[in-house]
Amino acid sequence: MNEAVLHKHYFQNLYNYFRRFVNMSGEEFDQLIPYFEIRKFDKKSKLVKIGEVDLYFNIIMKGLIRKYIMVKKKEVTIQLSTEGHMIHSEISFNLQQPSDCIVEAIESTSVLSISYANLQMIYEKFPDTERLGRLIITDMFIKKDFRDLDQLKKTTRERFLEYMQNHPNMLQRVPQKYLASYLNIKPETFSRLKHLLQVKRTPTP
Amino acid sequence: MPGGFCNLFTVQKSFRLQYDVFFLISYYYPRRLTYLFQIKVMNRLYEYIQRFAVVTQQEFEQLNLLLETRRYDKKVTLTQKGQVENYLYMVDNGLLRKYFYKGKHEMITQIAKEGDMVCSSVSFLSQEPSEYVVETLEASTLFALSYGNMQKLYSMGHRMERLGRLIILDWLLQKEIWDYDRIRQEPRERFKLFMRENNDLVQRVPQKYLASYLNMKPETFSRYKHFLKY
Repeated sequence: MNEAVLHKHYFQNLYNYFRRFVNMSGEEFDQLIPYFEIRKFDKKSKLVKIGEVDLYFNIIMKGLIRKYIMVKKKEVTIQLSTEGHMIHSEISFNLQQPSDCIVEAIESTSVLSISYANLQMIYEKFPDTERLGRLIITDMFIKKDFRDLDQLKKTTRERFLEYMQNHPNMLQRVPQKYLASYLNIKPETFSRLKHLLQVKRTPTP
Repeated sequence: MPGGFCNLFTVQKSFRLQYDVFFLISYYYPRRLTYLFQIKVMNRLYEYIQRFAVVTQQEFEQLNLLLETRRYDKKVTLTQKGQVENYLYMVDNGLLRKYFYKGKHEMITQIAKEGDMVCSSVSFLSQEPSEYVVETLEASTLFALSYGNMQKLYSMGHRMERLGRLIILDWLLQKEIWDYDRIRQEPRERFKLFMRENNDLVQRVPQKYLASYLNMKPETFSRYKHFLKY
C-alpha cells in the first residue's frame, strides 16, 4: 500500500471510531482532518518521557505502545495498547504539566495524533465535538474502572487466563516481563501460568 | 463572568448583608425569594461546578430545577450490586461509602463527605448493572440528578455537554492518580497521607471502614494509629 492510500485508510478508521459514539457526516469529519497528524515511532522509542509535558493524544493505527511508571527503580506497566486504542499520559496531557509516566513504542508504530492546542481549537470551532469528547472520555473512564476492579477482585490465575483469552496475540507481541507487570503477576508465576495455555492448544492440521 | 450571579454568593458571606438583599429582592420580586434560599442550599454544588466551567445564572437555574433533594437515614443502601444506578448524588450533608465485594469481603473505594459527588459511576454512565454498593454511613441529605435529567441537561446544548465532559475528565484523572498511588505508596505512607488530609473522618467513620478504604487489615490500621501518637 502506498503512503497516501494508507493515510486515507487511517482516517477512515478514525471516522468509524467516532461514529461508534455519535452521528457524524463525512463532511463534518473532513473538517476535523487538518487538526490531526500522523506520527511514526521506531521500536523502543519514547513518545513521552518523565518530566516532559505530553502534547499529544494518540490513537494507534499500527503497532504497540506501553505506558509505565517508575516505582523506585522498577518499571510498572500501566497500559498496553494496540491498533484502535488510545494512549497518552492522561494527567500530563490534560493538565499540561510534566509527565509522571513514560509512553514507549514496543513495535515500530504509527499513530494518529491531535495536539492539546488543536483539540481545544476543535472544541471551540466545532461545539458538536463536545459530545463526542464527553462520550470518548466516558468510555475511557468505564474501561479504567473495569481494569481496576479486575486487579482488585480477581485472582492471579483468573487475571492471566482472561487476559490471554481476550488478547490472544499479545503473548507473541509483548515481552513477557511487560505482560507480567501489567497483570501484576510475578515473572516466575507468569511462566508457570503459561503452561495452562499450552495444554489447551489444539493441533493444527 | 455573570456578575450579578456571583455577587449573590459574595453577599452570603455576611448574614446581615444577605438579609438586606433578601429583603430588598423579596420586596420588589417576591418570587425571587424562594430562589435565593434555594441558591443558599445549592452553594456547594455551585462551587463544585465552577471548578470546571463558568455557568450562567440561567443555566444553574435549569440545573437546579432538575435536581431532587433526598434525605436518608444512616445505613441505608442507595444502590445495590446488580441494580442499575439511576442517580448521581452530591453530598450536602452526611457521609456515604461505596464498596464492592471481593468474595465476602467489602472493599471500600470511596468515602464521600460534604461537597463530594458519589454514585456507582460506571453503572450510572453505562446504565449497566452495578458492581458497587452505595450506602449511607450517617443520616444524609443529597442532591440527586437522575440519568434521564442528565440527558435533558445535555440536550440543552454544548455548554452542558462541555460541563459534563470536564467533570468526567476530572473523574478519569482522579482515577489515574488513585491507580499510581495504589501501586506506589507503602501502606504506612498511605495511612499518614490520608490522616493528614482527612483528619475529620477518623471521628466519623468506623475504623474497619477506614482500614478497608486504605486497603489494609484493621490490625495494621490500629498499629499505625499508635505510631501517630508518638
